[in-house]
Amino acid sequence: MTGNVTGGWNFVVAAYAVTAAVFVLYGVSLITRLRDARSRAAEER
Amino acid sequence: MSTTKSLFVRRYVPGLVLLAIGAYFGFVVALAEFNNINLGFGLATGLQAAIAAIAAVAGTISFLIVDDVETSAKGPNILLVAGIICFLIGSYIGLFVAPPEQHMGEVQRIMYVHVPTAWNALLAMTVAFASAVVFLFKSDWKWDAVMEGSIEVGVVFAFLLCAQGSIWAKPTWNVWWDWDPRLTTTAVLLFAFLGILALRRFVEDPVKRGIWSSVATIIAYVDVPIVYFSVKWWNSLHQTQSSPGTVSKQFYLPLRANAIGILFLMTAFIMLRARISALRLKQELAPPPLVEAQLGEVV
Repeated sequence: MTGNVTGGWNFVVAAYAVTAAVFVLYGVSLITRLRDARSRAAEER
Repeated sequence: MSTTKSLFVRRYVPGLVLLAIGAYFGFVVALAEFNNINLGFGLATGLQAAIAAIAAVAGTISFLIVDDVETSAKGPNILLVAGIICFLIGSYIGLFVAPPEQHMGEVQRIMYVHVPTAWNALLAMTVAFASAVVFLFKSDWKWDAVMEGSIEVGVVFAFLLCAQGSIWAKPTWNVWWDWDPRLTTTAVLLFAFLGILALRRFVEDPVKRGIWSSVATIIAYVDVPIVYFSVKWWNSLHQTQSSPGTVSKQFYLPLRANAIGILFLMTAFIMLRARISALRLKQELAPPPLVEAQLGEVV
């Protein structure tokens, strides 16, 4: 036991993949929800 | 120049200039230094970091103040593109250019996304707190919409923060989760703001919803400084904050690039989410349409 962490690229890839996935999915959900809200508002007008 | 174009320029240019200063001192100077080019005007690293942080936060505030939530999404779209570019640059340097850290090895690269997510999660909740205070004092519905947007973005970022932290904890602490002061106070913050979102969903009256959720946001915000100082106040497994003077530029370059990128994304997300809330509020606050009998009386 050296107290140093060896390897671990799988954890790095997982952290970056989760981050990218959350940003992309949340961004897409916002754009879709905004489009829906705008079309609903236009219909009611 | 058309009036719309001129209004757009007047509205967003000050914020863009501040964010550009933040990006310049945040990572352009460090990137140039990395290639032995001096663009830092001889300023100390700590001062550059302070200018970057102040300019970036001031830019975000400027964007949110001048943003008209009832107009097109041009402003947030610019920030989205800028955020994606900065985040890609920062992640590329963090993954492929920066060296592994002495003790944590490759796993330390998680810091380049984890720490900027933490800063921006706390900043989103600070925006929610400020919006709640402004809404209570001015009763301006724009700030109710911004508050809802920043609470939701804060919750998404806090959830992401816990997920990244768990992934980092497993290879370094050998556990996915520990009831350590930093982790516990962050979990409390996540669930407190999630509760405020639930409260906003269940209360139908927009006036009651705005006031109750503003008060709840102000109370929940008390946990933000506790999260920040928890590693100093209590004996914590989580490491304490580093200062720019003690971190090599090979490590802070990707950290700052991602911090600026995620700040742009966070601001764009809040602005887009505020537009959705503003549209719903507009429908709720509109006078009810006249029914046929009333129409007859009017005629």
